[in-house]
Amino acid sequence: MRFEGTLDIAAPRDRVWAFLTDPKQVTTCAPDVQSLDLTDPTHFKVVVKAGVGPIKGTFNMSVEFIDLRAPEHAEVLARGQAPGSAVEMRNTMDLVAAGERTTLRWASDVTVNGMIAQVGARLMQGAADKITQQVFSCIQVKLESPASAGISANPA
Amino acid sequence: MAVETAPAKTTTGQKLHRIHVVVNGAAHDVDVEPRTLLVHFLRENLGMTGTHIGCDTTSCGACTVLLNGRAVKSCTLFAVQVDQASIATVEGLEKDGKLHPIQEGFHQEHGLQCGFCTPGMMMTAVGFLATNPAPTELQIREAISGNLCRCTGYVNIVKSIDYAARKLREPAEGKAPDVR
Amino acid sequence: MSVEIGGIGSSVKRKEDARFIRGKGKYVDDVKLPGMLYLDIARSPYAHARIKSIDTSKALKIPGVAAVITGKDLVPLNLHWMPTLMSDKQMVLPTDTVLYQAQEVAAVVATERYIAADGVAAIEVEYEPLPVVVDPKKALEPGAPVLREDREQKNNHIWHWEVGDKAGTDKAFRDAEVVVKQDLYIPRIHVASIETCGIVASWDKVEGKLTVWMTTQAPHAIRTVIALVAGHLGLAEHKIRVISPDIGGGFGGKVPVYPGYVLAIGASVLTGAPVKWIEDRSENIQADSFARDYHISAELAAKKDGTMQALRVKTIADHGAFDAAANPSKYPAGLFHIITGSYPFQKSFVEVDGAYTNKPPGGIAYRCSFRVTEAAFTIERLVDVLALELKKDPAALRMQNFIKPEAFPYKSALGWEYDSGDYGRALKLAMDTIDYAGLRKEQATKRAKGELMGIGISSFTEIVGAGPSKQFDILGIKMFDSAEIRVHPTGKAMVRLGVKSQGQGHETTFAQIVAEELGLPVGDIAVEEGDTDTAPYGLGTYASRSTPVAGGATAIAARKIREKARLIAAHLLEANPDDVEWKDYKFQVKGVPAKTKTMQEVAFAAYTNHPQGMEAGLEAVDYYDPPNLTYPFGSYICVVDIDRGTGEVKIRRFVAVDDCGTIINPMIVEGQIHGGLTMGLAPALYEQITYDEQGNIQGGNFMDYLLPTAMETPNWETAKTTTPSPHHPIGAKGVGESATVGAPAAIANAVVDALAHLGVRHIDIPITPWKVQQILKANGAAE
Ligand code: FES
Ligand code: FES
Repeated sequence: MRFEGTLDIAAPRDRVWAFLTDPKQVTTCAPDVQSLDLTDPTHFKVVVKAGVGPIKGTFNMSVEFIDLRAPEHAEVLARGQAPGSAVEMRNTMDLVAAGERTTLRWASDVTVNGMIAQVGARLMQGAADKITQQVFSCIQVKLESPASAGISANPA
Repeated sequence: MAVETAPAKTTTGQKLHRIHVVVNGAAHDVDVEPRTLLVHFLRENLGMTGTHIGCDTTSCGACTVLLNGRAVKSCTLFAVQVDQASIATVEGLEKDGKLHPIQEGFHQEHGLQCGFCTPGMMMTAVGFLATNPAPTELQIREAISGNLCRCTGYVNIVKSIDYAARKLREPAEGKAPDVR
Repeated sequence: MSVEIGGIGSSVKRKEDARFIRGKGKYVDDVKLPGMLYLDIARSPYAHARIKSIDTSKALKIPGVAAVITGKDLVPLNLHWMPTLMSDKQMVLPTDTVLYQAQEVAAVVATERYIAADGVAAIEVEYEPLPVVVDPKKALEPGAPVLREDREQKNNHIWHWEVGDKAGTDKAFRDAEVVVKQDLYIPRIHVASIETCGIVASWDKVEGKLTVWMTTQAPHAIRTVIALVAGHLGLAEHKIRVISPDIGGGFGGKVPVYPGYVLAIGASVLTGAPVKWIEDRSENIQADSFARDYHISAELAAKKDGTMQALRVKTIADHGAFDAAANPSKYPAGLFHIITGSYPFQKSFVEVDGAYTNKPPGGIAYRCSFRVTEAAFTIERLVDVLALELKKDPAALRMQNFIKPEAFPYKSALGWEYDSGDYGRALKLAMDTIDYAGLRKEQATKRAKGELMGIGISSFTEIVGAGPSKQFDILGIKMFDSAEIRVHPTGKAMVRLGVKSQGQGHETTFAQIVAEELGLPVGDIAVEEGDTDTAPYGLGTYASRSTPVAGGATAIAARKIREKARLIAAHLLEANPDDVEWKDYKFQVKGVPAKTKTMQEVAFAAYTNHPQGMEAGLEAVDYYDPPNLTYPFGSYICVVDIDRGTGEVKIRRFVAVDDCGTIINPMIVEGQIHGGLTMGLAPALYEQITYDEQGNIQGGNFMDYLLPTAMETPNWETAKTTTPSPHHPIGAKGVGESATVGAPAAIANAVVDALAHLGVRHIDIPITPWKVQQILKANGAAE
């Protein structure tokens, strides 16, 4: 399943880049994060709770930045499992600067296996729309709020 | 044998709740885990295995019992939710050695084959006939549409329920045949 | 027939009802033993993946978890693989690769059901996904990923099987005036008996005895299989007791051995405690044996006048990851070659190729005798395609072609010898009952108004009662069946059988056979089945074989008793045995109606006053090896109305005329037909299991897998003709599955008939509203 979208953020590209490629910051916008464990600058593990329709589970995700071309292109591979289900997500983001604003184009290819795919398949679109909306509005709020102006452009 | 073993413990770490339920007229005070389903409570805690389990999605109705007179699927309720309530199961249908008209109907009209769906079907029917004593065929079919039977094709189940409806409307008439 | 004794032909009310209507049935999940543990199974979310690691440590830390079993633990015991019934093998637990979604990966044993489930959730498995093959046609293409690395043959082809005269058939097609061809897919479905599968295994270490209560249709065969598979661990057949208690529906799904059974037995031996495993509905549909899944390409050659001449059929059979079909050994595609049906084809050729895919294993029946529904559906659909091609009425085309009554016993082009039949009589009765001519007129009027109404016929011939030992065995065990009858001194009888009822009412019908043969009232005859410690060896109940095979055994065992009883009666009557005859359910001195002895009197004498030189007692055993199969048949007519807005198909009427030979209990036979028709309706309009490209199951639970409810099921109308089987001791043919075999084609034919004027020739089942709506839209006929 492929999901994609575009988002216009009133923040400079460097800051958007820094936020999106910093596991600590970006996961503050992921829904229901139970724990975050940084392995190295490009690998981390995160435990999230997620549900589609009647199926809910705690997913152990391993995330890897497989292609980082600052400040415009990133590719992230996330693989994870919950009892009876498995999910793989391949995400790409492209950032285009427009003065003090940034356009974020993102796409996500999701493969699900197991219970979620059996029972949740036809509910996936709705669930994914809801989650991405939450995630991106969170990102927008955090990046556009005055407090975030101080976020370091080079967190690592 | 190369299988890893762990020390068996009986505690589950779950807090127990004391519930008070009346099942087929008899009161029970039992400690249950909050996650115990009503159907497991009936079958395992009380040993009443007449109520069956046929699915895990509230689809089949094999587990149907009456909760304060209303048909419910006992696989979809926790035991703690029926605290202080009254439950009727298939085991309570026969009274003083006399079959309930629904039991008689299923026997007379050949409304059962493997018998697995039968307790749930009969409890659904009893709950339904209490609200609609003179149903049409279509109303009976609607009433049991949450109960699956794989053996009978429903035709004779519908007849069985109709038999019971008629019998319940004329309670004085006739004597129940002995089914043994 | 005598109503008083309740013999053959009377609608005796069922004896088994007494416990079921009181909630006192004893099913496997009702068995509870002291100290019993519960087993639950961790399953693969992937359809094809390498297992990189399994971490059981968290599960083992859960209080109450007694053991966790993985494939590696089974290797030293040589129990990680087990044989299937079809000379293939199947994983019990994988050691390195999983081959289908929901495959068993590890088992947890715990003190409580819920704790076992906690343990399953705590098992961590690391998988590396591998390429998935779900389409059997792609699986057979060169270069497809090889799924079964354990086989020497490095492709996904399981076997090729063919029967018939290929050259002769090809020639008939070359010379034919008319050829019609139709591709059909008969989808994967699941029997979904309302009781799922389960087992309680109890190993007694001191006695070295294993007792299992198990949802099995074939307890004796299971005992032998356990002895063969686990003999090296010290399980000997005389110390294995398999009890098949009350079974909540079987339909073929309770014939195979599933890994869960083996794991429960292993866990009981390991822990020394009784172990119970009861699968969930989702596990049942997702991992237990499926039925059908045949990709068929069928051609029929005929003359312009409609005379059918030749049949040519090519099929790909999707067996999933292992060939775990439950067929007689010689027939990898079952009895699919009954496909010539009710018609006297001169030439025929059938070939089937089995393929492995990343789907659960199986290939069992779905309330039908070994692939007979696939065959009946194909030929009955094809006849309608021919009728359309020739613009002939489908009823007339059938009548024109049927094998004639005087042609029986009839030898089919594919080698079967049909025992008896009168196909025209059955179809005529169905047409008269439903007023076929009137319906055709109504249809013409409606069609003119744009309304969609269809009439569908299916005149099927079944083949059941496997089977004669010269052709039929399972794992080498010949497919006889058995009965043991003991008449006690007070004239009450105990009957023990090698078959096993799953709702068919054996406790009543087999008592009726004995009642008829011995003149004892049916209420005085107890029938017991399903306990291998007490019952004689038999192959079990499936493929409508109980009445044809065990019914024969019962009648013959009873006749053996009657013969001995006659000698005792002669002794009591002080008459020459040759002068004593069996008349009106009594022994009588020929020509002296006053001098009689009842069976009860004889039974008492058999223990108290038997003739000198004769053994005391009154009992007999028979192992019946049927001389031939039986061939029940019928004609069904279905009338449908189609909603042009929603595409929904509504069955207005359905008349089923069945001929199953001699009927033992008309009430029970009618009930069997009602149930069978509903399991014919199910795949025609509703049920199907599909898989997405990753091998994810679509339709793996009762929310998505749609069993017909009372709302979808029509009020079935039944009628009968009776053409006894000439070779069966009581002339019976078996009926449990006829309706499931015959109904799908009648329904599909009715829907196609409703849409034929739009150019529709075929729609694959299940004919869902969506499919119909697409057709209506494409033809501008949607509302
Ligand atoms: S077990 Fe309760 S609805 Fe199926
Ligand atoms: S009688 Fe078997 S499921 Fe209803």
